[in-house]
Amino acid sequence: MIINHPLLGPRDAAEFVYLGDANLINRPEGLGDNAEDAMYDHVYLRDNPAGIHRELWYHEQGDRSWLVVTRNTLTHEVTSVELARDVARSMGRSR
Amino acid sequence: MADFSLKAAPVLGGLDLSIGQCKLVERTDIALISAAVPLDGRTAFEARLKTEWNLDTPSPATSTRAGPMRAIPMTADQMMLAFEPGPTLTEASVHAALDSDAYTTTQTDAWVILELSGAGATTALERICPVDLDAEAFPVNGAARTTMEHLGVLIVRLGTDCFLLLSARSSAQSFLHAVEISCDWTAP
Repeated sequence: MIINHPLLGPRDAAEFVYLGDANLINRPEGLGDNAEDAMYDHVYLRDNPAGIHRELWYHEQGDRSWLVVTRNTLTHEVTSVELARDVARSMGRSR
Repeated sequence: MADFSLKAAPVLGGLDLSIGQCKLVERTDIALISAAVPLDGRTAFEARLKTEWNLDTPSPATSTRAGPMRAIPMTADQMMLAFEPGPTLTEASVHAALDSDAYTTTQTDAWVILELSGAGATTALERICPVDLDAEAFPVNGAARTTMEHLGVLIVRLGTDCFLLLSARSSAQSFLHAVEISCDWTAP
């Protein structure tokens, strides 16, 4: 499988490590209301879609960047690759 | 008590091999310093590279060179400065020059540096390097951090048939073995 890195171009999937659902970026506030349930959901509960899935990949044997890869789990077609940093910033995070 | 005297030596003993159409040499004349750019400090860092060595900041997939100094991209906001030390250009002088604009770390003794050249160099690397080495996709000065066999490698294209390969010094013999075998097996 080839992942088209937004900065480096097409790179072999062997250079990457898979983490899981891209929603892991959205770590809940640990001291907020209902924090215990929110953290339980964050750590343990996952959607497991047959189809389009946004997931985190780490370019461990490359530039050490985290990526959000949109992949079809039925066909392995990769439709979008973004830097996780940019995704987090677009959601209002500072860095 | 025994009186020890330590002598600096290159990890591969200054290797110089010819295999088929490949020439494989350990470069022992290059010093390495990594430089990480502080948050919000990119403009000052780029200006410092320019004033000190007339060196452009590398893009994510391309190294830059000015005189004896080369900047190899490693990750976002971090690069490896590879240079041939001289009377005025030393590890200490590079650290001092970047003191206020980057976080620097001496890396010279942490890496083994091989130069692979010759008509068979690209073919030998195609066997173990997952990066597309076609001259259009990876032109001269192109740089990538990747893996060969199971070993992390920084690769820089110095010329059409000439590559600089940096890998961890601790696994230098294994890395040499991987490259040597590849040169051997792809020899005509």
